[in-house]
Amino acid sequence: MAGGKVNNSPKILVFSTEKISDPAIDMAGLLKLHYPPTVYTIPIPCSSAVKPRWIMHALEQGFDGVFIAADGTDCPYGESCTTKTGELMRITQEMLKDKGIDPARLKMAAICSVCSEAFVKHVKSFSEYLGKSSN
Amino acid sequence: MMQENIKTLEYDVLVVGGGIAGGESALNLANLGYKVLLVEKELSIGGKMILLSKVFPTLDCAACITTPKVSEIARHPNITVFTGAEPLKISKKGEHKFDALVLQKPRYVDVDACTGCQLCEEACPVSVSDEYQYGLVGRKAAYIPFSIASPRAAAIDIESCILCGACEKVCPPNCIDFTQTEIKYLVKIKSVITATGFKLFDPLKIPRYGYEKYKNVITSMQMERELAPTRPFNTVLRPGDGKMPDNIAYVLCTGSRDKSVGNPICSQICCMYSIKQAQLLMGALPMADVTIYYLHIRAFGKGFNEFYGQAQDMGVEFMKGKVGKITEKENGNLILRYEDIEAGVVKEAEHDMVVLSVGILPNLGMEEVFDNERLKLDPFNFIDQADILASPAKTSIEGVFVSGTASGPMDIPDSILSGGAASAEATSYLRKENTI
Amino acid sequence: MKNKIGVYVCHCGGNISDYVDVEKVRKAVENDEGVYLAKTTMFACADSNQKEMVDDIKDQGLDGVVVASCSPKLHLLTFRAVTERAGLNKYNYVHANIREQVSWAHSDDKLGATEKAIKIVKATIAKVRNSEALEPIKVKSIKAVAVIGAGVAGMRAAIELAEAGSEVFLIEREFFVGGRVAQWDNLFVSEETGKELVTRLYDEVMRHRHVTLFTGAEVIENSGNVGNFKLKVKITPRHFKLSCAQGELQKAIDVCPVVVPDEFNFNITTRKAIYHNYPSEYPQLPAVDMKNCTRCGECEKVCNGVDFSQQTEYLNINVGSVLLATGFDPYEPKKGEFGYGEINNVVTLQQFKRIVHYCDDKLMYNGKEVKNIAYIYCVGSRQVDGENKYCSRYCCTATIHAAIDVKKKFKKVHNFHFNRGIRTYGKQEVLYDESSRLGDIYLQSFEHDPPKVERVGDETIVRIKDVLTKDKELEVVADLVVLVTGMVPRKDNSIGNLLKVPKGRDKFFNEIHMKLRPVETVIDGVTIAGASQGPKNIMESMNSALSAATKSFSLINSGELALEPTVAMVDENACDYCGKCEEACPYSAFEKVEKSGKFIVKVNSTVCKGCGMCLPVCPTNAINLIGLTDVDMENMIDALVPQV
Repeated sequence: MAGGKVNNSPKILVFSTEKISDPAIDMAGLLKLHYPPTVYTIPIPCSSAVKPRWIMHALEQGFDGVFIAADGTDCPYGESCTTKTGELMRITQEMLKDKGIDPARLKMAAICSVCSEAFVKHVKSFSEYLGKSSN
Repeated sequence: MMQENIKTLEYDVLVVGGGIAGGESALNLANLGYKVLLVEKELSIGGKMILLSKVFPTLDCAACITTPKVSEIARHPNITVFTGAEPLKISKKGEHKFDALVLQKPRYVDVDACTGCQLCEEACPVSVSDEYQYGLVGRKAAYIPFSIASPRAAAIDIESCILCGACEKVCPPNCIDFTQTEIKYLVKIKSVITATGFKLFDPLKIPRYGYEKYKNVITSMQMERELAPTRPFNTVLRPGDGKMPDNIAYVLCTGSRDKSVGNPICSQICCMYSIKQAQLLMGALPMADVTIYYLHIRAFGKGFNEFYGQAQDMGVEFMKGKVGKITEKENGNLILRYEDIEAGVVKEAEHDMVVLSVGILPNLGMEEVFDNERLKLDPFNFIDQADILASPAKTSIEGVFVSGTASGPMDIPDSILSGGAASAEATSYLRKENTI
Repeated sequence: MKNKIGVYVCHCGGNISDYVDVEKVRKAVENDEGVYLAKTTMFACADSNQKEMVDDIKDQGLDGVVVASCSPKLHLLTFRAVTERAGLNKYNYVHANIREQVSWAHSDDKLGATEKAIKIVKATIAKVRNSEALEPIKVKSIKAVAVIGAGVAGMRAAIELAEAGSEVFLIEREFFVGGRVAQWDNLFVSEETGKELVTRLYDEVMRHRHVTLFTGAEVIENSGNVGNFKLKVKITPRHFKLSCAQGELQKAIDVCPVVVPDEFNFNITTRKAIYHNYPSEYPQLPAVDMKNCTRCGECEKVCNGVDFSQQTEYLNINVGSVLLATGFDPYEPKKGEFGYGEINNVVTLQQFKRIVHYCDDKLMYNGKEVKNIAYIYCVGSRQVDGENKYCSRYCCTATIHAAIDVKKKFKKVHNFHFNRGIRTYGKQEVLYDESSRLGDIYLQSFEHDPPKVERVGDETIVRIKDVLTKDKELEVVADLVVLVTGMVPRKDNSIGNLLKVPKGRDKFFNEIHMKLRPVETVIDGVTIAGASQGPKNIMESMNSALSAATKSFSLINSGELALEPTVAMVDENACDYCGKCEEACPYSAFEKVEKSGKFIVKVNSTVCKGCGMCLPVCPTNAINLIGLTDVDMENMIDALVPQV
């Protein structure tokens, strides 16, 4: 337990999706599955709506990592979501490389509407990675 | 009959009972444009659910689900709510024609003017047991039923009131009015939904459990109040001495599956609410042990069995055994004498607090209200479902439907579905009026 | 820019304030730019607080509102309605989730939780500061509902919808209606048979002018959405004309040379390729099973009702809402699970019901009279090692009811119930009591030590360590072993996939909220009924069917729906038509138009669903989502970034 100390875990911005991954993240709370409190979520309609510039903005402004909790094949807006999210990942990682930023600071995984445990596992290991790579 | 003093009102549907089932029925009908009169005998709508802590198996807080529903009901333009009111007589005059005589008891407070400031409570010198906290604490004779009541307005308990006038003097909007009297309304409606809910088994009927004799034997509803967000003590305490308990026992099937008290059926919710309370207790009192004495665990609904497994994983002890007798030690601890079914022997165990998981009994009375047609009851005195498999909300009277636990034990999700079914049947019935 | 923002931080009784210092949150944001008042409240959703919010908005002239409380899935709509009641546009309300994603998720770190709550509220304030008043997009709704599945739940829902005033398309994949209930004889508690119940419902369905029933029909495509689902229905021909001369049908069945296992009887009997499930089944027309038919033509020679010229038809229907009542499959035991598929007198509960149905004076199986029956409970449910952790709810009662029936019908039968704790909840308890009085034997196994079924010589023996006798093993020589198989979701989930209906942990369709919205799904306009949502008995299925019908109907009743205005918008100056957004859009919401001498795209806002797939693909960054623009996003990110 962190107790009375300020939590210095890496700051992670999560893009969750209103209908699929955000309910899973809610359920993680309901089930009291803990993860670092420096993980912040902004829900959006669909994971293939994330603009690379948003990700760049977050990383440039001080977030250590960005995690896209993608709809995967459950996306209510259609199956093309998976490839589209993959494509924006690719483009953004190129941009990161160009700027000399570690592309692994951007991560994506499909989180279904009940994948609470998977979400917690992902953000924990991502947080660990970011913690190590910044040292 | 003083016919001339009775005011006549007209609605499409009369819903009797403002718990979650009646509320669901009323909201569905109102959303379709029907005018509904919702009559509730208590001072607040929200039924039993609004008084609960959290609800199984999701552990949502009950208030968070109930209060918005309740406020939606209270301000819906197509719903009129009477609290502290009940139907005295309902006569069927023909299809789509019912006359109901509704009694509005005086509250002695102008509800619209009351701001809920609670100054009257402070001023009132009379203290009595608080029924909405199930007797755990006291309240005044001038009181707001509970903090999230709807309407959140004061009432005067005239039976306990000494008429000192202290409340009147302090009330800023002068809304206390001792001149209020009973009002009777003749309500003309086309259909009736009975959502009169259930009552809890009274454990005094099982003297060997020592309820009320032993202070640290409480009912599950009292524990529910101790765990609720609007709880009286802000923590879980033994009523006997205010000590935090650390070894709590649950006695399941208190008043259920027990022919000796006249109730052979299973109450359907006690296993799950006890498991839920056990989980909440383990959260509230991390050092406490909780043992549940049971016959069979009925974890049958969606997510229930998983919830039961979760409790086992958390360390709640499940003892298959029938509790015969409870005795009290000098320090207020309790000795449970029980049959350990798996070991086949009678054993004794000491606990410092015992919760009796009381069952569900029918709320009698509606059958007497119908005066010219018979509202049939089932063998257990719940309202009989005339076509249980095809139309579960139909009763023995055409145009009268049953919603929620008035027809038998059920949990919250089932009550809400039953409330939806009753409103659907009422809709069909109302639409037939124009085709006859 | 908003400068009179009201912020309400909710205790949620303690759900939030036990872990998050709500007063600290309030103080941390009260001086933020634009914040006019900041309060804490015990229950933000309670009527008294809602009233206070309305008064604040009106009296103080608030121009933006934030409530920091539970998940927006619970109460976003509640608080939008509050702002609307106070005369403020509901899109000037923004919700902050500090319960599910803060206090509960970080109950192990109160300081961290409070810090996070502060940041989230600040980000929400940053968003509301820039918020604009929006008007919902109005679309017409078609006053018709498609009910998928004509089992008892689907038929009941269809009747209800028709009576309420909707046009109904009742779509059944099989050639016959009635679903699983048609396979059941006496029903608890009415003692009506399954067939009688199906008949009653079918008659009502047919009586309604406004219900159109399709059998052998499947939805194969879906475009459109709430208010106007465009469904393509494939109708497989039954290769039978609407009538045939008396007696010819039986001749046709007699001459058919194809013999296949009869799925209706769970393969304990066989049928021909031209078949009925049972005499006088609905619709009262046989069907030809083209998967197995050899096209030998024998039936055509003796029966002029047979018609091989019938073609598969495709039908397009438009409906405002879709109600799913697709039911369940019985669990299929694995080979060797309690001897299933290996020992010849091990059957499932569903097979057992059909066996009893076909026996008259003696209960026979495999040519031998059955006296001792061993029922093994929870097969495929409450699995200790397997995936199905859930209880199938109906089977304890169904089995005891079946056992009592059998005992009454065949006096010599002895019933042995190998159970895991009987769950005859509610009034069903009387059945358990009756069965015990009739002398049925109940043996309960330990959770981790299920009974074993073994073939020894020509005997089938069931062994159990009973909780009552602890270490002593008991055994019963059984003439028939009945595996009480529970409910599992339909194997074929094509309709669920088509409509994108999410599933729960148990793989059944998932409701939005078990108590607040138990028959609605996250897919607007799609409701769920009966066992498709989870195991239920008939009465419970009916209640959910009627509730789902009410929800579907109230959605389409007014003929108009208000859609979220949070759709895509195009910056005309920045757009240099390239067509990438058109390609990315799954709904064809973009249109190429000419404006001021150049080509640009225009958004059709009633078609756009606001998914945002077009946002990242635009090379000139000309597209934004209304309510979630670059400015909104950057403001939120800036507020979340810790200022060290």
